[in-house]
Amino acid sequence: MKPELAHLIVVPIVLPLLVTALLLLLGARRRRLGSLIHVGAALANLLVALEILRRIHADGLPGAVKVYLAGNWPAHFGIVLVADRLSALMLVLTGVVGLAAAVYSSAAWGRVSVFFFPLFQIQLMGLNGAFLTGDLFNLFVFFEVLLAASYGLQLHGSGRSRVRAGLHYIAVNLLASALFLVGLAILYGILGTLSMADIALKVPRVPQSDRGLLHAGAAILAVAFFTKAAMWPLGSWLVPAYRTASAPVGAIFALMTKVGVYTLLRLSTLLFSSSAGPSAHLGGAVLLYGGLSTIGFGALGLMASLRLGRIAGFSILVSSGTLLAAIGVGEASVTSAALYYLLSATLAASALFLLVELVERAASGEESPLRYAQLELDEDTNLDDAEAALVGRDIPVSLALLGLAFMACVLIVSGLPPLSGFVAKLQLMMALFNPGGAQVAHEPTAVTWCFCGLLLLSGLSATVSLSRAGIQQVWSTADHPARRWKVVEVAPVLALISAAGWLTLSAEPVLHYTRAAAEALYDPRGYVEAVLSTKPVPGPASGAGEEEAP
Amino acid sequence: MPLAGLLLLPFIGSLLSAILPTRARTVLAGWAGLVSTAAAAWVLLLFPRVKGGGVLRQEIEWLPSAGLNLILRVDGLAWMFALLVTVGGALICLYARYYMSPDDPVARFYSCFLAFMGAMLGLVLSGNLVQLVLFWELTSLVSFLLIGYWHHRVDARRGARMALSVTALGGLALLGGVIVLGHIVGSYELERILASGEQIRAHRLYPVALLLVLLGAFTKSAQVPFHIWLPRAMVAPTPASAYLHSATMVKAGVFLLARLWLVLSGTELWFWLVGGVGTLTLLLGAYIAMFQHDLKRVLAYSTISHLGLITLLLGLNSSLAAVAAVFHIMNHATFKASLFMAAGIVDHETGTRDIRRLSGLIHAMPITGALALVASASMAGVPLLNGFLSKEMFFAETVFLSSHPWLEVSLPIAATVAGVFAVVYSLRFGYDVFFGAATSRLPRKPEEPPRWMRIPIDLLVLICLVVGVAPARAIGPSLAAAAAPVVGGELPEYDLALWHGFNAPFVMSLIAIAGGVLLHRLLRRAQRQGRFNEVPLLARVNGRRAFESLLVGLTRLSRAALRVVATRRLQPQMFAIIAVAVLLGSASFRGLPLTWGHRERLPASPAFALFWGIGMACALGVAISGKFHRVVALILMSGAGLVTCLTFAWFSAPDLALTQLVVEVVTTMLFLLGLRWLPMRLEEAHRSVGLRTTGRRARDLMLALATGCGLSALSYALLTRPAPQSISPFFLHRALPEGGGANVVNVMLVDFRALDTIGEITVLGAVALTVFALLRRFRPPAESIDRPHQQQALPADVVTDLVNPRATDDIGRGYLMVPAIISRWLLPVALLVAVHLLLRGHNEPGGGFVAGLIVAVALIMQYLVFGTHWVEARVKLLPLRWIGAGLLLAVMTGLGALAAGYPFLTTHTLHATLPVIGEVHLPSATFFDLGVFAVVVGATLLILTALAHQSVRAHRRPGARGQRSSAAEAS
Amino acid sequence: MEAVLALVIGVLGGAAVWLVLRPRTFQVLLGLALFSYAVNLFIFSMGSLFIGKPPIVAAELAPDLEHYTDPMPQALVLTAIVIGFATTALFLVVLLAARGLSGTDHVDGTKEQR
Repeated sequence: MKPELAHLIVVPIVLPLLVTALLLLLGARRRRLGSLIHVGAALANLLVALEILRRIHADGLPGAVKVYLAGNWPAHFGIVLVADRLSALMLVLTGVVGLAAAVYSSAAWGRVSVFFFPLFQIQLMGLNGAFLTGDLFNLFVFFEVLLAASYGLQLHGSGRSRVRAGLHYIAVNLLASALFLVGLAILYGILGTLSMADIALKVPRVPQSDRGLLHAGAAILAVAFFTKAAMWPLGSWLVPAYRTASAPVGAIFALMTKVGVYTLLRLSTLLFSSSAGPSAHLGGAVLLYGGLSTIGFGALGLMASLRLGRIAGFSILVSSGTLLAAIGVGEASVTSAALYYLLSATLAASALFLLVELVERAASGEESPLRYAQLELDEDTNLDDAEAALVGRDIPVSLALLGLAFMACVLIVSGLPPLSGFVAKLQLMMALFNPGGAQVAHEPTAVTWCFCGLLLLSGLSATVSLSRAGIQQVWSTADHPARRWKVVEVAPVLALISAAGWLTLSAEPVLHYTRAAAEALYDPRGYVEAVLSTKPVPGPASGAGEEEAP
Repeated sequence: MPLAGLLLLPFIGSLLSAILPTRARTVLAGWAGLVSTAAAAWVLLLFPRVKGGGVLRQEIEWLPSAGLNLILRVDGLAWMFALLVTVGGALICLYARYYMSPDDPVARFYSCFLAFMGAMLGLVLSGNLVQLVLFWELTSLVSFLLIGYWHHRVDARRGARMALSVTALGGLALLGGVIVLGHIVGSYELERILASGEQIRAHRLYPVALLLVLLGAFTKSAQVPFHIWLPRAMVAPTPASAYLHSATMVKAGVFLLARLWLVLSGTELWFWLVGGVGTLTLLLGAYIAMFQHDLKRVLAYSTISHLGLITLLLGLNSSLAAVAAVFHIMNHATFKASLFMAAGIVDHETGTRDIRRLSGLIHAMPITGALALVASASMAGVPLLNGFLSKEMFFAETVFLSSHPWLEVSLPIAATVAGVFAVVYSLRFGYDVFFGAATSRLPRKPEEPPRWMRIPIDLLVLICLVVGVAPARAIGPSLAAAAAPVVGGELPEYDLALWHGFNAPFVMSLIAIAGGVLLHRLLRRAQRQGRFNEVPLLARVNGRRAFESLLVGLTRLSRAALRVVATRRLQPQMFAIIAVAVLLGSASFRGLPLTWGHRERLPASPAFALFWGIGMACALGVAISGKFHRVVALILMSGAGLVTCLTFAWFSAPDLALTQLVVEVVTTMLFLLGLRWLPMRLEEAHRSVGLRTTGRRARDLMLALATGCGLSALSYALLTRPAPQSISPFFLHRALPEGGGANVVNVMLVDFRALDTIGEITVLGAVALTVFALLRRFRPPAESIDRPHQQQALPADVVTDLVNPRATDDIGRGYLMVPAIISRWLLPVALLVAVHLLLRGHNEPGGGFVAGLIVAVALIMQYLVFGTHWVEARVKLLPLRWIGAGLLLAVMTGLGALAAGYPFLTTHTLHATLPVIGEVHLPSATFFDLGVFAVVVGATLLILTALAHQSVRAHRRPGARGQRSSAAEAS
Repeated sequence: MEAVLALVIGVLGGAAVWLVLRPRTFQVLLGLALFSYAVNLFIFSMGSLFIGKPPIVAAELAPDLEHYTDPMPQALVLTAIVIGFATTALFLVVLLAARGLSGTDHVDGTKEQR
């Protein structure tokens, strides 16, 4: 790439950090300026991510990988940032969701506490870092960064239920992080390296006597990620934590479980690829069945819950279960469909989290949220006994807009046509039935049936529960004078949904991209090659590294 | 011309009418009518091209790689349905103009209406099954909006939701079925699928596919037991009902059956499933219809029954029956739509739809009455009307069916019975409403509706008559065109004559009519005497109740299930995580046993063993005393920490030892500050521990032991292995020459792995911010607001700041004089040490982190002994600034490298020769470390002081939010 | 020596797990702190044990694993210590806040567990 833009990859990490420092120095005064910087940074973040993606996609190589040696040390020794198709995709997703949440939050949330914006930026930094880094311990560090920020954001605004949920959230995550360290330490103890690419290279060469240890390390490491990806039965923390979080935080949290999923995908394909000798496809079954049970769990939760907040939380569980199971299948075609699903589901979930807050604001006061009493059966109103000519009620434009947005979310989450959720589920099922493409004959296994059945069932329960809650909250409130919503609050929701719409229309190119990404994942040689072959920038003649400071 | 235009037309119309003024009903109706008329004309113009079995086709790229393109495909069947959809739409628009009241926000109605038309068109024109599913669900959604048009009515909301839930269920099932079909055939394109009927029927997965597809079709076409949603959907505005529930939406199901008839039919399974469900629906629908009192409900159940008839015809596996089915689809659409509109007029004019209250309307509205009579006669199957023809074809099919003997007898009987019922409910609609004495007990004075409102009915009834009288000429060609693709090209022998001679079907018709009239008289008399107002035998059965209690049941069930598989409590979650980790960890040794390595052990030193004996004792002590003796536990824990720190020192890790030590100090200080806010906890010695508690403890103990053993085993196995073929020699090698420092660990932190350090200080900063933000809203527990009793115990006359430590400014009277003096003198020393450690860090144990902590500790000491006010009155600490500046410095140092064309965080060493000191090496890493230092100072101070402030605030204003002190901090 | 250290790590870990599973927030806090000790020692032990070979390069010694202990685990532990310190502090404060808001120090914010 062009030299002056060689440093593009590090920007998603450095930029939010700089902004954070700036905001802190800005202090409590100059709120407007602060929120401007905040939004501007989020926008810049998105643009950079898009540019990275463009560049990676531009050189059409199957394993297009851009490597950045932070600290100018060779890959094994220093920390290396790697941007391949998958990372770039996640970066862009982070950028989109981040921007939407940032704009939304610029309305009011900054005023609640001075620290909302800095913490938000740190969150972005953590996410970007986790998607970019190619070093296991550095991954841990970035996990901690994004978690530390998420603690702050989740607790933002305090309040009893929030703090209680936060306590659980933090305790669980601290435990998971400890496991992360244990597993990581074992891997280092066996392989003597931390660079993922190097690990991938060394895994096949591990002597048989050490292999058990290696697998144990990987397993313990995986448990940490299972917890963060909220796989059943380790996911009970998710719904309370997300439900109590404020709207923009919930929106960005919709991305957080995906970090766990991303890491599992990255590590399982990189470390235990088919070329990993005896350890090939380690733990695929665990992922698959864990994922399936998570979908079931999420579907149950959807069916059981009446509050929009909880429903949104459980929809996140369903999506992460779907992704885990799809990864567990271990087929490039399924993974590619899963990546598309990841995009659509995340966008929808974020939009939903923003919407829930708006809807509940509209419903607050008059409409108490649905109670079981209202589920009780009452008499059938057969004839129109009122005898008055029926006259429809107006729906204010703002509320109509909200209702449509909500409906779109329902469609995407439950996978009904015509939006991206449908395409995603369709792709998944097609890939499950014919992993090798439509022409290649393939006998569907029990897993295929189970997976597809769960996909459809979860969609159904999402439809039922969302329409139940939505009718209650949106339609019933149509009678009441709608609240005023700020443009900066409604715009992000619409933007997210139109992004999902765009996904639907340009499904072909997107799927083309995800397919390339998935194929690169299942053949990690390109990745390893690119990382390990990257040479540091040579120092001037005076001798390595001994040059004058600028 | 491209078909896409035809498909887009309604959608564009819908968008436009959404933005038209919401009450301009004439404009809107005109626009919608224009759009649908144009579409209808378009469709009509296509006829010549599909007449001879021709197929129009247009393909639009969408997902070519997955074999999914939008394919618009018009053959006879699609054409016929498209015609129904568009013409029906045009008529309804005209009708709705007069039906909807002037102050209805009709823009929404027409927008949804046109959208529905588009969806329906898309459905019938689909040349790709996935696309068909797509539009299929779209119709469900839009109909949901139309049914819920009067969303302020609870029954409208209910009906809409029920329709959506049921049809969505079907849609998802259909999707599954389509996927399976696609899997069998290897393509989703209609042509390919229609071509490979043999293959599909022979395939092992045929039953699965069939079941799923049928589930979709039955839910949409309201077949028993999924019919429940249709009567509830009658809360929709009558124009919508007339459109959706007579001609279009409910026909989608039978359309699908007809569409795939060629492929799926011809098997026993098909015969029994489709035929059986059809028969059941035919009878049940007709039976219930007889006892309804709401005009629209009579029509709804009759529709169900007719749909059952069509399904049955398609299920008979005979191509002639299929033709009859297509024919009946057309006929039913005409008379049912007109009947719905008539019912709407009656409702509109009289203000009620209750048959029991209506009678003798023929006097008030003769023309409407006449039309309604003709239409209901057609529904009853009276000769010279189109209903008669298709019904007779149906009778013929049942008679000439060759199957199991008992079936050959029972099916015609069932058909006749259904015919009888049909006559009865037709009479209830036609006769009961319009004949008899004119009643005056009506909400409104009935009269003829506006002329234009009647036009649609006129036309439809005219069609009924013309087709009924001269079928062959009127409908022959289009029927042929429509039926041909269903049966695969060559049509069976049939003739559309009025008179086939005095044969069995004709007899059946006569029986049906005669019996119907008779039964109707009996029923009428009975109902006069107040009997049979409920549906006999089925009075208990209530679709809505069944559906909703099902939902409630499901919800309850899943709640119960959730209680089992999920938890809101922390302990089970923690247990699960650890347990899973232990399980998976030990599972990975299956087949790969864990073995010790052969690295020669270090000789055990008793001293080490001894003080770790203490360490372990401490750990266990913490575990035991953690609940009741917090301070003890705290002391023991720092004991363990101390031993850890000694271990680091022992095994040649000076940096770790140093850091651990300082961290110990700060952590302890934190805990001490925090302990004050925790409740007093007294040992309940006497309270006996329940069995469950004991069990839980035992379980936890087991897990703890397991984890402990696991960790020991792992670490021993790794300790005894030779050191990994590590990458570390590289670091040792490069540290001094390229890293510019002898202390490799520090060089790694600030150079090799500087990115980690950046992250680490970011974490520190984030946590500090969180803590601060959280503590600003801290509400101390009630019992710990007033001073601890040790302080209260003092006599009041004692003059010391112990009574009110925060009030003192002069520590001369203080009770901490000695420590005060010491710590005051200690401060500069501590700062000096910190600077020393910071500077030497690069070459010897030390570094920014340790230095920062030391400074923080030194400052917090001042807080402890002098009290918050005293300190803050003298030194202005701005921890936030420290953090911000530190981060900035660190990042900037990293960015400096970019200027020189090196990657982020590359270090450079500045060599300068100063006059006195001489040669100095100043690696840029030092600035980086300075940043670390600043952040650590800031963060630690922020946390500690925020905690320290609590006691001040809690006393100043109990339970208050201390903005002042914190605000002073923030700015 | 190795056996002792392994045993120690086990004991620390076991005690930590026991505490983490207790119903009182303070116990959980102690547990997490202890666990971080155990984990730090565990990571540290990856570099296998050396006595008197600190990773501070001196001119006269050849820079290899014969003369110096493996610096990598130490660097990792150092970072881990810092992060552990931060999170412990955070958890402490959240614990206090929860106590203040819910009036009890039970992890579920309820007087007695159901």
